[in-house]
Amino acid sequence: MILELKEIEKSFGEKKVLTGVSFKAEGGKAFGLLGRNGAGKTTAIRILMDVFPANSGEVFLDGSPIDYDKVAMGYLPEERGLYPKKIIIDQLTYFAELKGMSKKEAVKSIDYWLERLDMTEYRNRRLDTLSKGNQQKIQLITALAHDPDIIILDEPFSGLDPVNALLLKDVVKEQIAKGKIVLFSSHQMNYIEEFCDSIAILNEGKVVLHGELRDIKRDYPRDRLIIRTETPDKIIADFGTSCTKTEDGDLMLRLTDASEKRTVMTQLVENYDIDEVKVFEPSLNDIFVEFAGDSI
Amino acid sequence: MKQFGKILKFELKYYFKNKVFVGVTVFLVLVIAIVMFFPRFKTFFKPDGAAEELPIMLVKADESTQADMLKQAFTEAFTDYKVQITNEDNSVIKEKITSDEVYCAFVMTSPTTYTYYVNNLSMSDMNTGIASGVLQHIYMMNAMIGSGMAIDQVTDVMNIQVIGEVENLGKNQMENFFYTYIMVFALYMVILLYGQMVATNVATEKSSRAMELLITSAKPTSMMFGKVIASCLAGLIQIAAIFGSALVLYKLNKSYWGDNMIIESIFNIPPELLVYMLVFFILGFLIYAFMYGAVGSTASKLEDINTSVMPITMLFVIAFIVVVFSMSAGNVDNTLMKVCSFIPLTSPMSMFTRIAMSTVSLYEIAISIVILIVSTIGIGFISAKIYRVGVLMYGTTPKISAIIKAIRKA
Repeated sequence: MILELKEIEKSFGEKKVLTGVSFKAEGGKAFGLLGRNGAGKTTAIRILMDVFPANSGEVFLDGSPIDYDKVAMGYLPEERGLYPKKIIIDQLTYFAELKGMSKKEAVKSIDYWLERLDMTEYRNRRLDTLSKGNQQKIQLITALAHDPDIIILDEPFSGLDPVNALLLKDVVKEQIAKGKIVLFSSHQMNYIEEFCDSIAILNEGKVVLHGELRDIKRDYPRDRLIIRTETPDKIIADFGTSCTKTEDGDLMLRLTDASEKRTVMTQLVENYDIDEVKVFEPSLNDIFVEFAGDSI
Repeated sequence: MKQFGKILKFELKYYFKNKVFVGVTVFLVLVIAIVMFFPRFKTFFKPDGAAEELPIMLVKADESTQADMLKQAFTEAFTDYKVQITNEDNSVIKEKITSDEVYCAFVMTSPTTYTYYVNNLSMSDMNTGIASGVLQHIYMMNAMIGSGMAIDQVTDVMNIQVIGEVENLGKNQMENFFYTYIMVFALYMVILLYGQMVATNVATEKSSRAMELLITSAKPTSMMFGKVIASCLAGLIQIAAIFGSALVLYKLNKSYWGDNMIIESIFNIPPELLVYMLVFFILGFLIYAFMYGAVGSTASKLEDINTSVMPITMLFVIAFIVVVFSMSAGNVDNTLMKVCSFIPLTSPMSMFTRIAMSTVSLYEIAISIVILIVSTIGIGFISAKIYRVGVLMYGTTPKISAIIKAIRKA
């Protein structure tokens, strides 16, 4: 399964929210939609889910325009919200039924998920009697109970303690293994880095970076070296301003060209007391700040 | 369609599990039960024979104003009072009235002039009218006797009975007044109450962000129609419960009520009028509930609801006032009512009132109903559009122009 957004444009009144947004997400892999607050992530998700139409552009599934009657989608909105005063099993059943399940199927599936997420004891309680983290888990069930083909999780880890985060990770991995399209939207780069094979970074309504995370990292200019040494001051003195200290005490040496990498590395090892020298590989966080941060 | 059914069921359940909804219904039924059983209790507490103490009416008259004759005439005319002749001072009489010892007093100043003393002049106090009639009667009799007529002759002349018959070709407004009034008032109450409930319901979903999920799970039209029709059904069921229990309770206590014209007329509504009542009730309910729902979706906080729904409520109150004033003026066919009976937002009340209290041709009714149905459906779809746009607008409540713009763009 391949989900593809092509050249999506959207404005609200005079304000242009999305400009030529295109990206592709594949089944069996997790996709990360990144961007700062107000970059247009939620709007893109809403268009993807047919909450409102785009001004132009289209959403494709496996090459043909998506048919919303046939594709089941699960959604965990960033703004969490269910009926606070209603019994949990009642509202979960309602939402699953709205997604087209029969009552019997819905109850069966929900009971499975309550069990899976260790929430069975809350089945007949009112939602507002639960802690925030547990409400979050209930919310997750609304996104998964009807066994959707496409799962959209907006900031799924926010508000979860480490144990629950681990549980959620397992669940998400399970879904990915089942071949579903899992679309993440998050600011928490460590989770995205752990899960997502491909990403798209939105900045001010435009896709500024899109592709396989591995390729993005590989294509990143390999013109920086990380040096761990006992004698940093000496190196700094010799290399001047191109060498800076990083936060964890290592040195970062910026080369004038990536091609002189080998020469410089040999030179370093021969002339200084070096513990370790390696090519700098940016973390997703670095990449994100670089691509999404320029409008600060 | 499948979604619509599920939403309808879910929303209906909301009403029947709502403690306020159930509580109000039970309370109203209880009140009606007390009212209906009241005559039975009254006879229970007052065993036969112990005649009720009649309020005392004093008449102050001297020889020149024929005290004896007055006493007889007043006693005949005021059967609800115990008439007593007095010679006490005016201040003593006033004292007795203010201390509730006696109810009222007529102080004669000449055979044809008097002062009426009463503590609180009630609106239905007809005593002066009756007294004037009695005095006029006595004066005329005296005059006739004085001019030489025989007493028998005078009595014959004065007691002549005029026999007249009324043949009503249209509606009897007097009889229809009460149930029309009850129906219009019920419509008014139910629309205001349920309209608010629909608006609050939508705004609650919005503010609890349950909307985020709903809007991605169901079509806005299904949501809107499901919600509104569920509230309409809940309203009808509530009314049916209240009026149904009233009818049953009345039947149980019928013998104790005697011939109460008003109550009789309420429970004897002609069947075709009941059908019209149902039609206008449902359509009127829906058209307003749609608007309330749409307004609810634009409010960003629950507290804003009251101000947001104000324009609709005002419109509705004006429609209600026009109808009630025309009804009490006894002219339900005035130009304003005629115009109102074709305008969708006012026609449920005004057209029904005209049908009930006057004669309206069938084609006029048909036109009014068709206009109402078409605009109800139209407003239903427009409000679903507003709903879809409105529920995703957080922050300040948007201006009307912004909403219209957003709907056009959507």
